[in-house]
Amino acid sequence: MPKSSPPPLILLLLGSVSLACCQWLIYFYAPTEAAMGLIHKIFYIHLPLAWGALFSFFLVFLGSVAYLFKRDSGLDRLCVAAAETGLLLSGLALFTGMLWARKSWGVWWTWDPRLTTTFIMWFVYAGYLVLRSLNLSMRRKSLVCAVVGVIAFLDVPLVFISARIWRSIHPAVFGTEGGELEPKMKLTVAVCVISFGFLWAGLVRLRERQLDLRARMDTIACDIP
Amino acid sequence: MLRMTLAVIRKDMTLTLLRGNGLVQALLLGLLLIFVFSLSQGVGESLSARSAAAVFWLSSAFCQILMFNQLYALEEVNNSRLGLLLSPAPIQAIWLGKAIAGFVLLLSAQCIFLPATVIFLGKSLSGPPGPSLVILLLTDTGMCALGSLLGALAQGQTAREALLGIVFFPLLTPLLLAGTGIGAQAFDGIDPDGSSAWLGLASAFDAIFLAAGLLLFAFLYAGDE
Repeated sequence: MPKSSPPPLILLLLGSVSLACCQWLIYFYAPTEAAMGLIHKIFYIHLPLAWGALFSFFLVFLGSVAYLFKRDSGLDRLCVAAAETGLLLSGLALFTGMLWARKSWGVWWTWDPRLTTTFIMWFVYAGYLVLRSLNLSMRRKSLVCAVVGVIAFLDVPLVFISARIWRSIHPAVFGTEGGELEPKMKLTVAVCVISFGFLWAGLVRLRERQLDLRARMDTIACDIP
Repeated sequence: MLRMTLAVIRKDMTLTLLRGNGLVQALLLGLLLIFVFSLSQGVGESLSARSAAAVFWLSSAFCQILMFNQLYALEEVNNSRLGLLLSPAPIQAIWLGKAIAGFVLLLSAQCIFLPATVIFLGKSLSGPPGPSLVILLLTDTGMCALGSLLGALAQGQTAREALLGIVFFPLLTPLLLAGTGIGAQAFDGIDPDGSSAWLGLASAFDAIFLAAGLLLFAFLYAGDE
């Protein structure tokens, strides 16, 4: 089997090239925000990272539900790949969010619903990956992680609502009257999200492929007398 | 199912209260937390009502982790878990029985934590008792529904408390925020956020995790290690 089969490689290449092209849109096409200046450009990376993380966690949820019914180890590996990618992306989203917060609100951190939700989810999925390192049989470990994968995603809307009741200062990006992005900014962010989507899909597929290969090697190693 | 649930409650309460060490350990940890936080106050100072409520719920959460760890450890000796699994009743009865036993034990512990918070953190219960009592019961219900589900997760593991804490605390955030929000109101009598939103959130949490417990417990509680 080749080291990297075409689908993940194509997705990663597509994502990398299109994200490189996005830099032109970000720095030359989209206007600079009047109040915040250049730091506003971080938003074009921050939003795709946050959405990528949320999609990853949703994929963990779907994969976990499917695993509970089908008990297919491939689905379990898909969940691991998505959780690892989601943890990486949510960590980067938190980091870029902190840079934004420092410039925009004058603090590195604030208890905003979206920031808080991302942070709590980061902890939940970090715990999920800690569970993967337990000394359990593979079947039991997959089952435990699938249950945690389901309840972790059920908690997302509750965390968001609770943080919103607590306090909120995050800007609403889409769907607010008077507070929307202007068309050039909206187009740029849409292209960035789609480009990042390719990179995200490539990362998940690549990691899943690595895990498949490791499982295969483990099976072969067990068969050797 | 009801008979089996009652039998599990009776068994767990009897064993926990007769042996005592698990309950005492949980109580001492909670009290110690309240006492340690009281040291952060200077002479003549007192913590804000919200901080005091947060300390109370933090003590309750730590206490509850130890309690559910203890409740599930009861069946670790002599593989008694297999006996429960072989009993002719729905497996959800075990989850419900342990959740109710945990609820009673947690409520008993809070009867000690509440006066300790008032004494050590210099607070008085000046707010309306109705919403505070309702949120106490709703938060305890959610904590025990989730605790009983996750208690089964760590069966057979040596570092059960640490494992439970890593997964449990982030998931519990919405409930802890709700408890803290209304707890602050109970301590200072001021209601800045309104209690109906928190009561709604806690009810939603309870409904989701009671349903999740009923559906998912059967996957977690099994005979294998």
